[in-house]
Amino acid sequence: MTRTRRRAWAGRVFVAPNLAALAVFMLFPLGFSLYMSFQRWDLFTPAKFVGLANFRTLFTADPLFLIALRNTVVFTVGTIVPTVLISLVVAALLNRKLMGIGFFRAVIFVPLAVSSVVMAVVWQFVFNVDDGLLNTMLGWIGLGPVPWLVEPGWAMVSLCMVSVWRSVPFATVVLLAAMQGVPETLYEAAKIDGASEWRRFVSITVPLIRGALSFVVIISIINAFQAFDLVYVLTGGNGGPETGTYVLGIMLFQHAFAFLDFGYASALAWVMFAILLVLTVLQLRFARRVSLEN
Amino acid sequence: MFDKPIGRRTLLRGAGVLGASLLPWPSACGAGEDALTFFFQANPDEADARMRIIEEFGRRHPDIRVRTVLSGPDPMQQMSTFCAGGRCPDVLMAWELTYAGLAERGVLLDLNTVLARDQAFAADLKADSIASLYDTFTFNGGQYAFPEQWSGNFLFYNKRLFADAGLRPPPARWEQPWSFAEFLETARALTKRERSGRVTQWGFVDTWVPAYSAGLFGMNNGVPWCTPRTNPTHFNFDDDAFIEGIQFYADLAATHHVAPTAIDAQSLSTMDLFAAGRAAMAMGGHWRYQTFVRAEGLDFDVTVLPAGPEGHGAQSDIGTTGLAIAASSSRKEQAWEFVKFATGPIGQAMIGESGLFVPTLDSAIHSAGFGRAHRRIGNLGVLTEGPAHSGYLPVTPAWEKINALIDRAFGPVLRGTRPATSLKTGLARDIAQVLSNP
Repeated sequence: MTRTRRRAWAGRVFVAPNLAALAVFMLFPLGFSLYMSFQRWDLFTPAKFVGLANFRTLFTADPLFLIALRNTVVFTVGTIVPTVLISLVVAALLNRKLMGIGFFRAVIFVPLAVSSVVMAVVWQFVFNVDDGLLNTMLGWIGLGPVPWLVEPGWAMVSLCMVSVWRSVPFATVVLLAAMQGVPETLYEAAKIDGASEWRRFVSITVPLIRGALSFVVIISIINAFQAFDLVYVLTGGNGGPETGTYVLGIMLFQHAFAFLDFGYASALAWVMFAILLVLTVLQLRFARRVSLEN
Repeated sequence: MFDKPIGRRTLLRGAGVLGASLLPWPSACGAGEDALTFFFQANPDEADARMRIIEEFGRRHPDIRVRTVLSGPDPMQQMSTFCAGGRCPDVLMAWELTYAGLAERGVLLDLNTVLARDQAFAADLKADSIASLYDTFTFNGGQYAFPEQWSGNFLFYNKRLFADAGLRPPPARWEQPWSFAEFLETARALTKRERSGRVTQWGFVDTWVPAYSAGLFGMNNGVPWCTPRTNPTHFNFDDDAFIEGIQFYADLAATHHVAPTAIDAQSLSTMDLFAAGRAAMAMGGHWRYQTFVRAEGLDFDVTVLPAGPEGHGAQSDIGTTGLAIAASSSRKEQAWEFVKFATGPIGQAMIGESGLFVPTLDSAIHSAGFGRAHRRIGNLGVLTEGPAHSGYLPVTPAWEKINALIDRAFGPVLRGTRPATSLKTGLARDIAQVLSNP
């Protein structure tokens, strides 16, 4: 065996475990769920082929699908917009050369290290109507108690708040890394030309970190569409109160594990995948076009 | 010692050997693999008593080891996952509302097949069983569990708080019910507030599931949840009397403020309120008994639920849990011995004596042992006559879907933002749709 062939063989051997894991834990479930989306299956009795019936029911006969889709869109927008804005500001602040900035950079990362379930449980206490931290603080400025997790509208607001809290650290780290790659000379030249700090941020920083921003938006959309753990712990497995936080992730879980309707849940999973794929492709195309125009 | 640097290949080989040695090698049986597995749900206080029963079974059957699997908050989901994954516990706790879903899918063994081989036990069981509880687990011609406890609801009341308010004790028997109006007046008299309006003592708290409790008040206004009981074709959310009962329950918190609202319940445990003497009446079943009996300084008794103006007397619900055997169990004989013990005369008598449950056999429920275990209860008839004064809950494989609809629709009614009459259109229609296409 020549040295080149031996190296190629060794390479394949090294990659094989990962490929095997990918096949077992990713490709097989994906293929199986696609197969199941055309079946009626409750885990115990044999699956029955139903063609496109699951998709037809989803689009034409299940009013909760539209509610879940609407809630997911609201949740996604309610998470992404504040996340991007807050992350930009925080990353800009952390990009300064100040004493002890390393400490603040570490602190901002903390929420990312906490499990979603733990975070949701803590936030449940924060949202408590009578004794919660938020309502206590609102009381200090004379505002009445807000029924955070009790009224459907406020429950969605609460969910978005927790989601933003969880998403900001990751977005901040990505944006901060991108900001640190912006050449210092550009800022110096702009400063000599008399550009204000705000102007430098809008005209230099933001355009030059567009790639990172685009990445953050795509990842946030994907995360928001897959939201489940936060909702499950914060407002329950039915996405309550009423349908206030009934998002697609909860709908999928409910059909799969409460109603044992795995065919329908698989169809829903593939619809979610298709929506995400379209959004990601559109976003990438948009980002590329803007980049070419510049 | 190391005169030569370790080469890359040597390092990789070493890592490989080390990794392989750390792999958990499959063994013929892990700890407890040869034991009979028993899946059940219990609160911490109940779990102690439950373990005593299992230990007693172990003493009588030293050849059968029992490994317990304590359920998480959603036993149905857990059981489905276990059983679908090929790791179904041998003996499963079965709930009246949810077992039909498992029975229909072939997860549970039809116990009639085993009873046919054990004629003596079958005859004893038939003679001693409370029919309404036994029949709860009869589904599509099969018997999928034997009842182990009556877990219907009634009221616990704090004797001292009643006496302090100068109130007469509430009724002692199901045959002498009180009315909705009398119950409301009593709850009002027992609710105390500070000047600021903050409640320091509630007249009534609910330790069960509010939507189900509301339905029980509907039942006590003369209308069952559904018709027929098994595989129902109609739920009575469109019935005026049923709706009035639900509205009465919702008004206790939302209008009359004698019970905690959903907002209050966020920061308060209703069970703790009663245990701490800060609530005068608590709705719940016998599963709360172990907690209340251990509460320091709590002097309580039990009473019956109130009957509505359209009701035909007071009634509880046929809440019952039973024991089932997994159809896929490889230890069916051992499982049968365990089920026979726990649901048969010996186990039931022990259960009665332990104070763990209200047993489901006549001999055990009316035994001296059961009375001794509940010495602190004056109105023992509320427990012993409970099963005979209970209305049924729906038995349908579609329960999970219906339950999700109920949970969704009851929220605004219980918060007082929508009248119960709203259920007559939305919920009734949605359930009809589920029943027609499960």
